[in-house]
Amino acid sequence: MTEKSWMYSVLEAVQHEMREDPALTWIFELTPPVASNPNMPVINLETEFGRKRVVNTGIDENWMASAVLGAGLAGSRAATYIPYQGALMPLEVIQNVAGKLRHMTGGKAAMPVVWVIEMTGQTPGFAGQHSCYEEDSFYMHIPGVRTVIPSTPYDAKGMMHAALRSPDPVVYLYPAGLRTLTEEVPDEPYEVPLDKAAVRIEGSDLTIVSSGGGMPGVLEAAEVLKGEGMGVEVIDLRVLKEMDTETLVTSVAKTKRLLTVDQSYYTLAPGAEVVARCAENVEGARFKRVAFPDAPPPASPEMFLWMRPNAEGIAGAARALVG
Amino acid sequence: MTDHQGNLVTCPEDEGQAPQSEGRRGFLKLAALTGAAASLSTRRALANGDIGYHAMDLPDDKLVDMYRTILRIRWHERTQADQMLANPDYRGYNHFYAGQEAVATGVCAALRNDGPFEQIDLVYSSHRPSGHAIAKGVDIPTMVAEMDFRATGMNGGYAAEMHISDPSVGFIGADGMIGPAPVIASGSAFAFRARGSDQVAVVFAGDGNYAAPHFHSTLNNAKLLDLPLIYVCENNLYHQYAHYSYSCPHKDIADAAAAYGIPSRTVDGQDVTQVYNVAKEAVDRARAGGGPSFIEAKTYRYYNHWGAPGAKEGELGAFGYDPLAITSFRPEREVRAWMQRDPVDIARNILVDWGILEEQKALDIEAEVKAEIAAAFEWALSQPLCTPEDGLKHVFAEGTVPARQFG
Repeated sequence: MTEKSWMYSVLEAVQHEMREDPALTWIFELTPPVASNPNMPVINLETEFGRKRVVNTGIDENWMASAVLGAGLAGSRAATYIPYQGALMPLEVIQNVAGKLRHMTGGKAAMPVVWVIEMTGQTPGFAGQHSCYEEDSFYMHIPGVRTVIPSTPYDAKGMMHAALRSPDPVVYLYPAGLRTLTEEVPDEPYEVPLDKAAVRIEGSDLTIVSSGGGMPGVLEAAEVLKGEGMGVEVIDLRVLKEMDTETLVTSVAKTKRLLTVDQSYYTLAPGAEVVARCAENVEGARFKRVAFPDAPPPASPEMFLWMRPNAEGIAGAARALVG
Repeated sequence: MTDHQGNLVTCPEDEGQAPQSEGRRGFLKLAALTGAAASLSTRRALANGDIGYHAMDLPDDKLVDMYRTILRIRWHERTQADQMLANPDYRGYNHFYAGQEAVATGVCAALRNDGPFEQIDLVYSSHRPSGHAIAKGVDIPTMVAEMDFRATGMNGGYAAEMHISDPSVGFIGADGMIGPAPVIASGSAFAFRARGSDQVAVVFAGDGNYAAPHFHSTLNNAKLLDLPLIYVCENNLYHQYAHYSYSCPHKDIADAAAAYGIPSRTVDGQDVTQVYNVAKEAVDRARAGGGPSFIEAKTYRYYNHWGAPGAKEGELGAFGYDPLAITSFRPEREVRAWMQRDPVDIARNILVDWGILEEQKALDIEAEVKAEIAAAFEWALSQPLCTPEDGLKHVFAEGTVPARQFG
């Protein structure tokens, strides 16, 4: 057990799996698979496994996304790291081919592949494609692909092991704003399941559901609300497809109040699906949604930081729902 | 030029250049004496194989304007880099264009930049847009304000560096992504052809764009439809931190364009007259209905991929450590070798050599430009910040969208 950064935790899992399976490949562009961590050896997949298995390509996410699928169909496990600049370029091959292929082939297609899709860090000042947060809505819509979005270094490592071992294709979303998180992470391999939400805080007055880049703000708001005496239950979705309906419904059946928080645009943000499932299954519950407005993120930090959901806005919405 | 290892090599285009020592004035006098001599002299003045030396025909004020444009870009970049390095209150940033000034300047000098929107040529830019914007003629103070997120900036603070645009001068805008701009530019060229306009569309894109499927789609369709599109590939050797040999098997990316049947040129991107020559040829072809052209300008950026890491206030270029580079670094000697062929020095030397400017006058112009840019920054950094609620505007042509961040 060592205090580890996000990327170190993830690459530790990849390194372990690549040592176990000499066929496993990693394709990247621009972002070398390198991580360092205090008191730990530097991980550099490119130098350890060589450029036949770890490939630095040109800027062509369509090829990267399709190539790992082809590797999987040929019997090799494969993963690729798509930086946020090209985060939706792989959509076509994932939604139109990978997501449908197992079903269309009557179960014959083998697709042990992982697309690590980096999302922006929502950095103020970058605008548009460099500050947006929307891939969760797109990828969670696709049948046949497991779409996950860990929000802690511990889950990031465990879900990477599970994703690389899964027989199903996995979209592994990585909101880059979480890169600064560190926590105690085991040195040994372990799996975090690809179908379970996590109850982060237990309470009986209100359920707050979020995921990925929304979690730090939710946890901060929950601390404030707890201090005010509110019994807040916080659920981290972790998995967008297949969504863990049972954990959500169990919680809302108890609290009867659900607040969803998304950094994604309001329309069809993951929270919309959470509200729909709970509304179908829980009588007499009340709902509220916090999300990024249906507007592209502007460059100006004054505009952007006002639009991006934060702890203060989340706490205000929680008080309005409970009060 | 440098090869993949960063050694200086001579490209074929560098051989047989215009005999600049001949003196442009002397040539023109000779041309005036006799028509027979003119054709001979024209042949002697060829810059690059069969490209005409069109820069010889430019009036003095146009040549001085080109020099001034190069200086405006250079001092915009240097002033902004110094702001990033030395002013803790400054929030703007750039993917600096310093070192590549002659490419934007030489190309845009061959374009129609003034007049109604329906008649001027359109430029599409990349994530490294400030040079293209200045060369196309945007208002520099409002561009500077935009890059620092001011409400009175060129795009109201919505855009910042990677998305600046001003259609009124035909600068359709920067593109923060790698890939889309060339294809979209080909759509503008498609519209020109469909409506019988003689406008041309130009796209500036880096060597990194070669690998994107958009590159190939653009060239294929531009050729299939004979579109008035000029693809300017600014090969500065690196996409982000990776050498272009990681993404392109060709030494000359122009070889790829030739495979699509498109007339293609490689040119010394540090010499504004050479760039103008190939741009003029391409523009003339496009206006005459001759279809697309591809220009690969061999060039180099003096700063790292983004911002000013490794640079020092008051000094040109970045030689130090860049934390964003992670594992790959440009050799300092490569940067310094390219700086030996500086586009500002080359332009100044040509004007002095051609007898258009005295050395001192050329230096005076540089001092004027430096002051002009300093004033632009002073004005821009005193402009008001944006109003938060305005973030809900401009989603559609009319109205605002609802706030959703408070539940």
